[in-house]
Amino acid sequence: MTRRGFTTLGFTFGAATVLGGCSGPQSVFDASGAEAQEIMPLFWTVTGIAVAVTVLVITVSAIAVFAPVHWRRHLTSEKFVVAFGIFLPVFVLSGLLTYGLLVMQAGSARSRSAEGPGVTIIGEQWWWRVIYDGPEGEEIVSANELRLPVGRPVAIRLQSDNVIHSFWAPQLGGKLDMIPGRTNTLTVEAIEPGISRAQCAEYCGGAHALMSMYVVAMEPDDYRQWLEAEVNPATKPADAVRREGQRLFIAHGCGGCHAVRGTPAAGTIGPDLTHVGSRHSLAAARLPNDPQSFRRWLTDNQHIKPDNFMPEYDVFSDSELDAIAAYLDGLE
Amino acid sequence: MAIFLPRRRAVALGAIMVIAGGLALGAVFVLSGAYNVAASVRHFDITNKLIKLTLRRSIDTHSAFVKVPDLQNADLVRLGARHFANGCQPCHAAPGSRQNPIVAGMYPSAPPLGVNADDWEQDELFWIVRHGLKFTGMPQWVGDGRDDEVWAVVAFLRELPGMSEQRYNELAGAAGSRSGFTLEVAGEELFAQCIACHGDDRTEPVSATVPSLDGQKQAYLRRALEEYALDMRQSGMMEPLAAALSREQIETLSERFARMSRRPLERTPAEKGRDSQRERGQHIAMKGIPRQSVPACASCHGQTSAATFPRLAGLSKAYLATQLRLYRQGTRGDSAYGQIMQSVARKLTDEQADDVATYLAGVSDLPSIEAPAPASTPR
Ligand code: HEC
Ligand code: HEC
Ligand code: HEC
Ligand code: HEC
Ligand SMILES: [Cu+2]
Repeated sequence: MTRRGFTTLGFTFGAATVLGGCSGPQSVFDASGAEAQEIMPLFWTVTGIAVAVTVLVITVSAIAVFAPVHWRRHLTSEKFVVAFGIFLPVFVLSGLLTYGLLVMQAGSARSRSAEGPGVTIIGEQWWWRVIYDGPEGEEIVSANELRLPVGRPVAIRLQSDNVIHSFWAPQLGGKLDMIPGRTNTLTVEAIEPGISRAQCAEYCGGAHALMSMYVVAMEPDDYRQWLEAEVNPATKPADAVRREGQRLFIAHGCGGCHAVRGTPAAGTIGPDLTHVGSRHSLAAARLPNDPQSFRRWLTDNQHIKPDNFMPEYDVFSDSELDAIAAYLDGLE
Repeated sequence: MAIFLPRRRAVALGAIMVIAGGLALGAVFVLSGAYNVAASVRHFDITNKLIKLTLRRSIDTHSAFVKVPDLQNADLVRLGARHFANGCQPCHAAPGSRQNPIVAGMYPSAPPLGVNADDWEQDELFWIVRHGLKFTGMPQWVGDGRDDEVWAVVAFLRELPGMSEQRYNELAGAAGSRSGFTLEVAGEELFAQCIACHGDDRTEPVSATVPSLDGQKQAYLRRALEEYALDMRQSGMMEPLAAALSREQIETLSERFARMSRRPLERTPAEKGRDSQRERGQHIAMKGIPRQSVPACASCHGQTSAATFPRLAGLSKAYLATQLRLYRQGTRGDSAYGQIMQSVARKLTDEQADDVATYLAGVSDLPSIEAPAPASTPR
């Protein structure tokens, strides 16, 4: 292949990689929330103007260096300097500022209209505690997945009880920090059902990069049904294997860190597992949610997610692992 | 024909020839095998003096930074004596017993410590017992990181010079009257060895640093003995004993201890601690410290916990505190089970570890965590 051929190939691959990052469940370009949709034109406008200014500056520099004398003389005229050095920047920057403020204003108008039940998300190391306002005002504790009804602005109260985290669900809207000791409220409105992804966007220690979760936008009726089921305590283990799984779970102290409502397990150190089987992922979107992953997580979690706060349980026999995995998988 | 060299050159050449000649002689001496390494052939007097001087200076210098803890504790002396009977007496002999002739044939032979221990300061004794002595047959302490155990032996060695046979047998218990390693006994006699240190459902352990085994879970006891034998758990006292046990012996002994009911507790006021301290300890044991990611101890050590997780209630404060320290500094925790406990212990502060050890040492049973009131309460 010629040298030129290599260059073309490299460019094509490079562009493909970059553009490939522009779609998918965690991409700002696939907006599925009202906030993100409003930000999008702002983004393109700013990008467009930035490109135009860059082209302008390069052109002027080229003129200054290469063009004939009478062209260059124009550049030194007072009129040119006033027009392009003062008026243009003032005009462009003020315009952008106004535009930005308007977009933000629209956001805050939606915040005011977010009257329905909200959600509290607490940043933990390195997972998310998610607490829904229940139908009767009760707290429904869950973890590592955010469900939202489509078509209603929802106030998300962001908190932390350890270090600073940042909640960012790119398809839904902008990001906002979770700061210890205060509550930051972010309002988001999903406009179509679907699954996207959120990521912690502020370095928060060892496993920060592995702190994500799925955001599931649902039709309002589906959401209501789901929330009603989420209030319930855990389903009783259905068969002997799962009952054995539950016994092992309690006997090995999992309940000291994890809550499974309706059982003696009431720990608050790790994620609530009452309905863990119905989530789309395990350990903050680190693993898929299936029995095999439960097994792997128990025996190898320090490798899968280095430094996380769960001890590794490399102490079970094969059949014991199967029983625990079946029990957890059955917690739907 | 005479060769004339300037004086300086002549001196240098001479020196080189002397050194080269020396090296060559040395090589011939070593490689020919002329030196007799037989233990039956004694060192020259001067060699002996030189070796002893080197030894003494080395021990003196290397023990310079050893800090001596408080050893005024009758318990420690007795525990030290019991280990001495198992691990040292076979070489060094003891009051009332003669050195085995085979051991006496070592060169240098193990000196009678009933005389020699007086020659050394406590820090020097510690250093010798902890590290052993090169080229002499004096072994190092086998439990890595277990300086605390070595001090029990030092506490005993201090009292050894001039000790009567009767006093020694009293201190060393069942093991005192034998010569040879404990490891060679079986059946009731073996069981008596264990009880001599650990006590049983009627007698208490020889020292607060030795755990009670009565009423401990069998699966845990079995695992503990296997881990000592495999050097996965560090103890200069237990490792040699466990390594000598057969599978069947481990099975019988662990079963026998597990079947006993745990002896009721007798605690000194110092062990009981202050009320406020016990309360803080109870909170940690029953509720944990969620802010520090410490789960309640009762969730893993309560009545209904797994058979492989140890029972804690009824162990002494000194033992509990020592084990927590060992987990925290990474000395204990090589096994998969130890890893779990290590990750919990590392999150405790010194003070919290002390509080919870105080509480646990005073309870006769640790209840399991109860089912809480419905979790989703209205706001
Ligand atoms: C010392 C506390 C502690 C103990 C004990 C503990 N865990 Fe965990 N567990 C955690 C923490 C913390 C996490 C979150 C890890 C992360 O993602 O960073 C977790 C995560 C999990 C998850 C993934 C949850 C999710 O939302 O995706 C499962 C499943 C789980 N643990 C099961 C168990 C089982 C089964 C046991 C007992 C054998 C156990 N845990 C014991 C602290 C603990
Ligand atoms: C295998 C035999 C053997 C065993 C077991 C043994 N030692 Fe020794 N020990 C020796 C020998 C040999 C020396 C002599 C070193 C020398 O003279 O240079 C020695 C030297 C010593 C000394 C220095 C004495 C002196 O005056 O030179 C002390 C103290 C000592 N041992 C304590 C102990 C203790 C305590 C134990 C048990 C934990 C123990 N030894 C176990 C063989 C043994
Ligand atoms: C010289 C005294 C001594 C003798 C004899 C002795 N032990 Fe021990 N044992 C100890 C000490 C000290 C410990 C604590 C070691 C540690 O810190 O790990 C211990 C620990 C143990 C443990 C671990 C207990 C726990 O709670 O983790 C078991 C099991 C045990 N010994 C069994 C035995 C058996 C069985 C025998 C008889 C063959 C025996 N011991 C003889 C001193 C002794
Ligand atoms: C997640 C389960 C778990 C929790 C919670 C837990 N432990 Fe443990 N602990 C274990 C396991 C497993 C072992 C056995 C480890 C081994 O074999 O080395 C153990 C061993 C111990 C031992 C050694 C016992 C002996 O006989 O040698 C002590 C002491 C101890 N734990 C204290 C505590 C204290 C105090 C707490 C509360 C702060 C606590 N543990 C909480 C699982 C737990
Ligand atoms: Cu982070």
